[in-house]
Amino acid sequence: MREIFEKALKDKKNSADYIEIRAEKKETTTIQFQGEKLEKINCSQQIGGNVRVLVKGGWGFVSFNQFDDLEEKVREAIEVAGLIGKEESKLAAALPVVEIINRELDKDFRQISLREKKDLMENYNNIIMKSNSLIQSSNVIYTDRFSTIYFANSEGCYIEQEKPFLSAGFTAIAREGDNVQIASESIGSTKGFVIMERISDKVQRTASRAVNLLKAQPVEGGEYTVILDQMLGGVFIHEAFGHLSEADFLYEDERMSDLMKLGKKFGSPKLNVVDDGSIPDLLGSAKYDDEGVRTKKNYLIKEGILTGRLHSRETAVKMGEEPTGNARALNYRFKPIVRMTNTYIENGDTPFKDLLSGIKKGIYARDCYGGMTTFEMFTFSAGEGFMIRDGKVAEPVKDVVLSGNLFTTLLNIEGVGNDLMMIESGGGCGKAGQNPLPVSFGSPHLRIKKVVVGGR
Amino acid sequence: MEKLLKQACKEVDSAELFKAKSKAIPVNFEVNRLKSIDISESEGKALRVINKGRIGFSSSTGKDGFDLMLEKAVATSEFGSAASFDFPGEMKRENKKKKNIDIYDEKVADKSIEEMVKIGEGIIERMKDFNRKLRCDVTILKDYSEIEYLNSRGGNFSYHKTTIAYSVMAQQTEDQDMLMIYSSLESGKDNLDAKALTSEVIENLEWGEKIVPVKSGKMPVIFTPKAALVLILSIISGLNGKMVLKKISPLASQKNKKLWSDLLTFYSDGTIDFALGSAPFDDEGVEMKRVPLVEKGEIKNFYYDLQTAGMAGVESTGNGLRASIQSEPVPGISNLIMEKGDVSFKEMIKDISEGIVVDQVLGLGQGNIISGAFSNNVQLGYKIEKGKIVGRVKDVMIAGNAIEELKNIAALGNKAKWVEGKYKFPHIYLKSLSVSAKK
Repeated sequence: MREIFEKALKDKKNSADYIEIRAEKKETTTIQFQGEKLEKINCSQQIGGNVRVLVKGGWGFVSFNQFDDLEEKVREAIEVAGLIGKEESKLAAALPVVEIINRELDKDFRQISLREKKDLMENYNNIIMKSNSLIQSSNVIYTDRFSTIYFANSEGCYIEQEKPFLSAGFTAIAREGDNVQIASESIGSTKGFVIMERISDKVQRTASRAVNLLKAQPVEGGEYTVILDQMLGGVFIHEAFGHLSEADFLYEDERMSDLMKLGKKFGSPKLNVVDDGSIPDLLGSAKYDDEGVRTKKNYLIKEGILTGRLHSRETAVKMGEEPTGNARALNYRFKPIVRMTNTYIENGDTPFKDLLSGIKKGIYARDCYGGMTTFEMFTFSAGEGFMIRDGKVAEPVKDVVLSGNLFTTLLNIEGVGNDLMMIESGGGCGKAGQNPLPVSFGSPHLRIKKVVVGGR
Repeated sequence: MEKLLKQACKEVDSAELFKAKSKAIPVNFEVNRLKSIDISESEGKALRVINKGRIGFSSSTGKDGFDLMLEKAVATSEFGSAASFDFPGEMKRENKKKKNIDIYDEKVADKSIEEMVKIGEGIIERMKDFNRKLRCDVTILKDYSEIEYLNSRGGNFSYHKTTIAYSVMAQQTEDQDMLMIYSSLESGKDNLDAKALTSEVIENLEWGEKIVPVKSGKMPVIFTPKAALVLILSIISGLNGKMVLKKISPLASQKNKKLWSDLLTFYSDGTIDFALGSAPFDDEGVEMKRVPLVEKGEIKNFYYDLQTAGMAGVESTGNGLRASIQSEPVPGISNLIMEKGDVSFKEMIKDISEGIVVDQVLGLGQGNIISGAFSNNVQLGYKIEKGKIVGRVKDVMIAGNAIEELKNIAALGNKAKWVEGKYKFPHIYLKSLSVSAKK
């Protein structure tokens, strides 16, 4: 790949301020069970690439599946970039690295036969289907993907990174008359196949949760003190706060950057929030981001004060800050944009039972169906909910949807637990049509006052 | 392609090759300025085989690699589902009324990037004329695609198709309040009206200037066409033949029963000229047609692809769609058209002494969709007092069960509007819905 890239980059350096070429080769296997049936089993091979070019501050981008005429693609990208560029190009400096990064896997999933993968998932599917007579159906989806990403730019950088990924999602559907309830669990990893062999507890839990939801009453809508578990806390900090830390959304918007001004108080001194792509082998990890910038640990909130944000090379220079290694692209179809990696709230010092104490009527919300935010507004569906009565976890409730304004909700965090857990789920993060990008997130248990819970 | 198919048939009983090629060009404006122009070319093949009665599937984007693709398709067929169908033979559109479906417009295909830039600039200018402080993101997109299909029973078809889309997002920030309004127009034909798009956004901005409080409780709610999916999404999912076959759908045993208001009638229709979901055939060679799903509140049909229909012992409804080249066909909606009513949006507002209009929600499709339950933050909504819109609501959630709520439709709007180029909805006025607000 290196020679092909170099040939295409040659002699072009005078017609553009910056050029990068990315290629991706990947093999994907998907196995899906629904109910008692094997629903889908398929394999795909993909090869694709893109060229991104900066001319006078304007970006041109071309993506493709055919590499025959790479030089022509570079020319096309320069041409469209020229239609936009009207100012000076600026990119924060980055060291031109040359490095090849291979991954050794503990039980490489490429060496496991299709039969073995299918048998294991069939076994998990059976656990769900046979766990209870109220289980109506199931959905089990297994995916593995081995990608190699090739990257070169006009500054002399050349990086090859191998990126393994595997995930499994388990859904149980329980039904009693017209009452249909769904529970889901998932797992994702960048490691070997071993992780898939040790999850029968998780699968069992999915089934029992769905059955338990049949008995749960819909939650009564209103304003509550809420405790979030590690999963929901992690989703909250990722979705509601993390996305606002992404500088591409801030740097051209004066009012937003004003709202997100560094040094502003965002929470109590107990609150610390980090994004760190350099933790080894988590879902959001990589040694270099998709612009070839080294990843690192970045504090977003330190002791309640907004202290940092996430950057690409372009946003960093425009805001006069350092690149953070957060430019990521979902795949060769997309440009790198500012994304989170592994985002979490650091441990506080309150044990779970102390978080509960003093809550007369509240909600313990666990797990997550999904979440969405638009600027400062967020909404999440809990996968599982319980009332809290007189400081104790009480009866289960369903259809718990939390919603609110990020800024007030962060200030309303009144307790931070001491049981941080990083969640590696099979889903991923979505932004600007790039979905699902593997990320991880985590949190200790959180206690938040005055949260609006939707309900009938 | 024929040669590849022949090669495949040496190893399997029958085979089908689906090839897609496309070129999309989005011109993106961010914060009122031209930000990027992308050219996205893609090309890929999918091979579905029936081998010893079982289905195998594999796909590839490379130019070569057919051998590997065939090898993987054969390998997956060892475990694949038992095929309950055979690939269709000769393909001809039988429907006499609608022989040809227009889905290609040369004017879209030939539109220059410079012209697209001008359209975007025009939209931003009109928005800024209304308010200099607005932040606008605009995308002007054109797309050209080619589909080629061939199977070993002699079935084959091909078509090309164009899409053009204008979308705008206007944002106004004040202190900790952010007002965000989006709207878009999509079509296969070069007939989009950028002025209509901006006028709608500007009207919403005017209504939204003032924030007004709402008290929690049950009240009348009007869903705009843009928000109608909140109520319809779970019905669409419940009418999916696959959900019915698996008995996951609560609607599985409700066919020909009166479930909802008389006003409710909608159908799936892949034959409408220049709608985004239209095509002569679905993605596995079955003729696209108009399928009545609900008529006067009664379920008339579920929708099927070949495999699901075979398993259920019915005919495919021509709804076998592929989400991407990497996916096998599954039951999907081409275009969904809901019949309009006879009450104008203005009259609906006049009819309400205290209620809300819901225009944009957060969390669409989130939660236990198939059960009908929905619970959404009203990201953009307006308060009605004494027959008038008095301002915008904030920190408000709506919740209910779509299957229940659709029994109590007070009225449907007398104008239906295209949403996402493939849904057509009128305003939906519900007598009473649960609304929760922050104290």
